[in-house]
Amino acid sequence: MTTRGKALIGFAVVAVVLNLVPTLVEAFDAPGFYVTFMFTAFFWIAQAVSWNILTGYSGYFSFGQGAWFGIGVYTTGILAVKHGWPFLLALPVAGVLAGLSGLVLGMVVFRLRKLGGEIFALTTLAIAFVLASVARLYSFIDGGRGIFMTGTPLPEFLGDFRTAMFRMTFVVAFLTVLTAYLLYESRIGWGLFAIRDDEPVAHGLGVPVFRYKMLALGINALFGGLMGGVWSLQIGFVTVDDVFNIRVPLFVILMSVLGGMKHWMGPVVGAVIIYSLTDRLNSAGLEDLNQVIIGGLLIVLVLAVREGIYLRLRERWKLSLAVFAAAMAIWTIFDLATSLIWDFSYASLITVGVALLPSRRRPGESEPPSAGVPQTAAASDRSPP
Amino acid sequence: MNEVLNQAIVSGLLIGGLYAVMSVGISLTWGVLKIINLAHFSFVLLGAYVTYELTTSFGWDPLLALLVVIPGGFLTGMIMQIFFELAKVDEFQSLIISFGIFIIFQSITRTIWSADFRRIGGDLNRYESMSFFIGDIAVQVAPLLAFCVAVAIAVGMSLLLGRTYFGKAVRAIVDDPEIARAYGIDVRRVAVILSGLATAFSATAGVFIATFQSLTPNMSFGWFGIVFPVVILGGLGSAVGALGAGVIVGVAAGVATTEWGPLSASLVTFLILIGALLFRPQGLFTRESST
Amino acid sequence: MSRSVRRRLQLLAVLAALALVATACGGDDSSDTTAGPSATTSTTAGGGGDATTTTEAMNDEPIVVGGSLALTGFLAPTAAIHKVAGDLFVERLNASGGLLGRPVVWDVRDDESVPDQAASLYERLISEEGVDLILGPYGTGTITAAMAVAEREGFVFPHHTASLTYAYTYACHFPTWPVGLKTNISNPNIVYDALEASGNPPETIAFVMNEFPGTQLIAYGPPGSDEGGAISEARKRGWDVVAEINFPTGTSDWAPIAAQVAQADPDFIYVGALGVDGPNLLTALDAIGYAPRGHFYQWPAPGPMLGAPNAEGAFSVATFEPHAPFTDDPEAAEISQQFAEAAAAAGLPYTAFETQASVSWVAWEVLVAGVEGAGSLDQDAICDYLINNPIDTLLGTIDFNPDEQNYYGDLSVVKQIQNGEWIVVHPANVAKPGTAPIL
Repeated sequence: MTTRGKALIGFAVVAVVLNLVPTLVEAFDAPGFYVTFMFTAFFWIAQAVSWNILTGYSGYFSFGQGAWFGIGVYTTGILAVKHGWPFLLALPVAGVLAGLSGLVLGMVVFRLRKLGGEIFALTTLAIAFVLASVARLYSFIDGGRGIFMTGTPLPEFLGDFRTAMFRMTFVVAFLTVLTAYLLYESRIGWGLFAIRDDEPVAHGLGVPVFRYKMLALGINALFGGLMGGVWSLQIGFVTVDDVFNIRVPLFVILMSVLGGMKHWMGPVVGAVIIYSLTDRLNSAGLEDLNQVIIGGLLIVLVLAVREGIYLRLRERWKLSLAVFAAAMAIWTIFDLATSLIWDFSYASLITVGVALLPSRRRPGESEPPSAGVPQTAAASDRSPP
Repeated sequence: MNEVLNQAIVSGLLIGGLYAVMSVGISLTWGVLKIINLAHFSFVLLGAYVTYELTTSFGWDPLLALLVVIPGGFLTGMIMQIFFELAKVDEFQSLIISFGIFIIFQSITRTIWSADFRRIGGDLNRYESMSFFIGDIAVQVAPLLAFCVAVAIAVGMSLLLGRTYFGKAVRAIVDDPEIARAYGIDVRRVAVILSGLATAFSATAGVFIATFQSLTPNMSFGWFGIVFPVVILGGLGSAVGALGAGVIVGVAAGVATTEWGPLSASLVTFLILIGALLFRPQGLFTRESST
Repeated sequence: MSRSVRRRLQLLAVLAALALVATACGGDDSSDTTAGPSATTSTTAGGGGDATTTTEAMNDEPIVVGGSLALTGFLAPTAAIHKVAGDLFVERLNASGGLLGRPVVWDVRDDESVPDQAASLYERLISEEGVDLILGPYGTGTITAAMAVAEREGFVFPHHTASLTYAYTYACHFPTWPVGLKTNISNPNIVYDALEASGNPPETIAFVMNEFPGTQLIAYGPPGSDEGGAISEARKRGWDVVAEINFPTGTSDWAPIAAQVAQADPDFIYVGALGVDGPNLLTALDAIGYAPRGHFYQWPAPGPMLGAPNAEGAFSVATFEPHAPFTDDPEAAEISQQFAEAAAAAGLPYTAFETQASVSWVAWEVLVAGVEGAGSLDQDAICDYLINNPIDTLLGTIDFNPDEQNYYGDLSVVKQIQNGEWIVVHPANVAKPGTAPIL
């Protein structure tokens, strides 16, 4: 079987296994928050992975994730609540509208002029602010009144709210990751990596630079918007200030850089680690210390594993898996923490510790890349074994 | 109506100076050192809180706080740059690391001064709403002083960069750090000094903010929407650009507020920004040569 | 405890087994060797699951009240007050014997002022941490998100600071921000009555409103309705509305707004202010040489208002101020005193026990009254009790009315800065003795 065939079977199995979780949680009378925890993780995974399809693959740094997210949130909000559309009908519109907005932006910035990566980044930053101002100004969008999403009817076959959120976020996250993988393994992926490494050279080699960049941006916006559309339900009361702020764009960057931007799996790992960390660190009276811990960890992790945690873990995957499984087993059996999520988080943290161990083969330890220029891909990451 | 518009333009012009002081530090480190330093937002904040503390606890005149804040900022900036130099990070990584520093400082500020609003009362702070009149137009003193500081920074940095060896070194680094190094320029030392200056500028902005606004640690997030347009419009690494862009943002927002209401201010600002990015991507105030 | 361990082990075992299948079937290029560690997990997990026993909860085990507050983020300045109030309430409750004879613990998390984070936290507190009771967070957005969770989980939901009264339909939500269901009508009229009572009501009025859903509700009424709000009510009194300015949260340059207000030169400025909008506007007005003749602020941070230029004479709405007649009740006086000490110890700059702290206090009182009335921690019983019985609180007796979405009329009073202090001046029966609204 080809590598891709195996991987696709893997995707299918992961899909089946994950989708058993809500049923299992119910069957074992386990805390419903396990499901919430997972669907929140799915949210961040989809956001980070879709961002990485543009930025990690093509090297075009985007601050614009909040814009796609926000378009998604407001589209479902307006259609499902203000116009009474069925939610599942509004959802694809949210994705398509976000995707189209991405393409319009791409048409302008990729074609109008030879804009550098920096200018692209800054333009994407501005887009979210413009959208926020427009939403504030026009009452058919928001006009300062907000949109109540609580009580939005969902089709019965999706189950109760939690299960429905799980199914919807799962589908979007799954499609996002699958797309990221397929692109990564395809000629388009190679083309995008070539653009990242050196755009003029890529152009010279016959890579359809404009088309590929548009595709990456469109896919990024599509999935960002789609997941934003789903997420409007969890926000409950949608307002401009809660939607168009720097939380989403900043966190996708943190997650992807931490997990590793050069592999499709990197942002998945980064999203899970950062989300579970911030979720677990949240407890009484320690809020200031928590932020110090998160800030400190970001600094340490970025400095210690520059290529991202995922590649480092993959390099010694046997050890990592063993450590994770052992930690998970120890924590559960000796009841060291109060729930599976705690067990999982401790195990993840310890496994990340494995990533921090100094590298054995030190190939990528060479010179840090010169400022401003996206790092060139280590060829070894890409070659099939 | 005309009188209101004139007032809005003058106020916008002056507060544009404050925006420039807030932004110039980030612009310099981003443009020259290739570090997107979000920690500057916490230096503005700290500058403001230190001013608050000196004024309310020791009865200092708020502007005297500059005597503490400028050297403190300079030192902090140097230390931070030494750290960045040792860590050898690229632009993406600098963004994350400086965000880490930002939230750590944010927490420290919250721990010391609590999340609740702090305000230097009018009895301790004569600049709060001090102003004089030219005709019917009020000229507020605190923003005027900030504007003068912005002009001083712009002129000073132009002279420093244009007329001195230090300036030549900086320009060489912008063009290519490797070649600069090959020509015997002590890149690290130049970077450390520049970062010190940049941080001192940011902290200075905090002093002026403390004179007429209420402080809360989270206010720094609100500055993103001001500082980034100014940095981008002005062109990365340009102090003169930051001043010009600050004025444009301030005046545009003031005019929009007057003509179409406060809600349109940010839309107008960002439409100008996008227009500028598309038609003059190198910034409104920098020559095309550098990229 | 041990039962939960067994369940977790079983669940983990099933998951591990499934993961085993998943990894064995392909996944990455590493399919054949992954089996090792996973297999170990599943067997140990399965084996460990048998040796556990079940124990019942002890009766002196604390009752845990779960909740979140915006300890960080843009709502944090005011949420800090609610933290101090809640801590003090729990301390006093435990000192007086706790609840149902059990001590009470408040498990409060930081929702970072983010609604979806609040929803997630309440889900977690209820299902993972297994809290016995919940109390609402601070702020409209977070409360709305958390209320949806409470409704799904069937938890009684007392909350103190949600501003969009029309939108809350959950049968077991208990608002203690006592502003009435039609707050857009009742609240401005209470203020306008105070202005009339001054004997010198305005003829012209300007509205400067934050574009925040709560203040927009006050100004215009619910979206899509023709109820109207503060502006149409002012017109009904024959006052001339000379300016209507909406500004976004986070406005940094107040001078152009101030210039417009000064040009309109109204007798009275109605500011839909949150936080420090008031001081910012006053400072900008003063800078252009304008002092308002009369002015009102909807929900200002009380401390910074006192230091703002020309703040003397500013009105606001209130529920409680630490002076007579509110402090005639010795318990209320004691609470005010203790709160001031606790707030100072927590480093808050303004320590008066006033509106924010008092509505927080009442939310706790409602929760406790419900549990004691029901005599158990059964959510349905607590909800029934609260709906069907008047509840004695610091702010007087509250009778949740299911016909008005559990609101109970507008209990707001009007306060004014006089001689550099906030004092309640209207209505006369609660005004500080010897004071009246001055305009």
